[in-house]
Amino acid sequence: MSYYLSTVAVYFGVDLMAAWALNMQFGWAGVPNFAFIIFQAAGAYTAAAVSLGPDTGANAFQHYILGAQLPFPVPLLVAALAGGVVSAVVGLLTLRRLRRDYQAAVFLLIAVIASDVVAADVNLFNGSNGLAAVPQPLAGLAASLGQAGWQWAYAGFVAVICIGVALLSRRLGGSGWQRALRAARDDEVAASALGLHPPLMRMQVFMIGGVIAGLSGGLLVMFISAWSPGAWQYSETFAVLTGIILGGVSNDWGVLIGTFLVQVLFVEVPSFLPQIGYPGLIDALVWVLIGVMWLLVLFFRPSGIWPERRRRVLSRLRARAGAGGR
Amino acid sequence: MTDPAHSPPEGKALLQTRGVRVRYGGVEAVAGASITMQSPQVVGLIGPNGAGKSSLLAAIGGQAPIASGTVLLDGRDITRMAPHRRARHGLLRTFQSASVFDGLTVFENLVVAGAGHRGASLRTALLGAGRRALEDEASSRASALLDEFDLWPIADHYGRELSGGQRRLVEIARCLMRSPRLLLLDEPMVGVAPHLVARIGEHCRRICSAGIGVLIVEHSMDVVRSICDRVLVMANGRVIDDGEFDAVIVSGAVKEAYLA
Repeated sequence: MSYYLSTVAVYFGVDLMAAWALNMQFGWAGVPNFAFIIFQAAGAYTAAAVSLGPDTGANAFQHYILGAQLPFPVPLLVAALAGGVVSAVVGLLTLRRLRRDYQAAVFLLIAVIASDVVAADVNLFNGSNGLAAVPQPLAGLAASLGQAGWQWAYAGFVAVICIGVALLSRRLGGSGWQRALRAARDDEVAASALGLHPPLMRMQVFMIGGVIAGLSGGLLVMFISAWSPGAWQYSETFAVLTGIILGGVSNDWGVLIGTFLVQVLFVEVPSFLPQIGYPGLIDALVWVLIGVMWLLVLFFRPSGIWPERRRRVLSRLRARAGAGGR
Repeated sequence: MTDPAHSPPEGKALLQTRGVRVRYGGVEAVAGASITMQSPQVVGLIGPNGAGKSSLLAAIGGQAPIASGTVLLDGRDITRMAPHRRARHGLLRTFQSASVFDGLTVFENLVVAGAGHRGASLRTALLGAGRRALEDEASSRASALLDEFDLWPIADHYGRELSGGQRRLVEIARCLMRSPRLLLLDEPMVGVAPHLVARIGEHCRRICSAGIGVLIVEHSMDVVRSICDRVLVMANGRVIDDGEFDAVIVSGAVKEAYLA
């Protein structure tokens, strides 16, 4: 049970920081990033490749680029960088000239194409078999604490990074930059006519989201020790997005609740259920449930369980003005 | 009233367009329009539907690509300048369909404009250098404009919760947060209740008396007569007359343009 709970805790932490990152892009800036999962995958692959060492000797059974053996936590920094670089390239292709509905279609296509290319090219990241035997970080800690202790320690490490992402989201979320992003989300032409630069701001938030996504991928692969195209199908982005929409777009606490409901209760708890029907039926039903949940939320509570709060100033400013003798 | 950020350079027109042409595919919406605003005035731009008024405003504001011709603001050539850069030089505008940010409160709509590009920079958001000062300055300017436009009762309302007239007032007040040199208003009275039409007209006059030029596209001749110092008439993409309202309205060319 302890193994299971610590595993769920790591998954939740990774999913939560991914959800906050996607919320910055989608909730704040209105970027319909259906390719989000590829930035997490970029981080996971690069973190794995720079941890495994060369693809010779013990790793001769798999082929990959970037083979290196960098000390922990450098692979995580490389993963974050990879997420940022890939998001910069994808952002330059999609964010500058395309309208939002076309962006959504292009993101979806990019996610599918990226997955197919990586699965087909065996020399890139070992094709459809993916990378395995990624060394777990801080092996000495595992020797002294035992596997369960190591898992809890890693969950704690993920929690610390999660708090860091939350603090970043909070700082940016209360800034004029985020307010300008929301303005550009509502009306880009009017925002630029006021002196704001929507393409630049959108690119910035896209890259910040990409860096966090890459970091989350790195954290995940160093925990589960393997990564393959099956782990990052485009549908994974919909699970993250469902958590955001269910919890409350643009509200960090709402996103936390929504991510917990979707990623832990809907995705993890069914693995406790006794097997029914043919193998894989429960997994398929989970995706049906996620889709139904999305529709129900959009119909009955489009702003989510914990909606974005209204930033009220009236009472505060009136009090201040009154004190100043206005 | 907000003071303009810059004074016009000596001898330079506030706004000058020379032979501006705007084409949408094979259609020439503006066919060589030349206008000049020497000093802050309220200038009406009138003409029948399809005359090219909104396209000329879009060319000046940077929303429509200029096929040929030049646009000068305070003598500076802004023809190829991006819209956000024009705004930073004091050229602000409203739109035919009021463009209030629906997901922001009225107060936020004002502050997002007042904080400007420095307030909206990622560097300021991350490092916090001057963040508080920028926010405080924008907040106090927004408070003053909420007073002036009598918008306090709806300060916490989202843009999507406003009536048509309220949206127009917020849009104009938001432009003033940027201390404009020149304000372009595209049919600001459309869909507005009569009592708000009068108020918007009064605001136009007060804005002008604060040293800000106003170029307004308007269909209501009563409004144009009551608030405009000067009237430009457009037809078929060209400026066909220019003068005081009473003189222009009796011109044969204008009658012909409207009757054509």
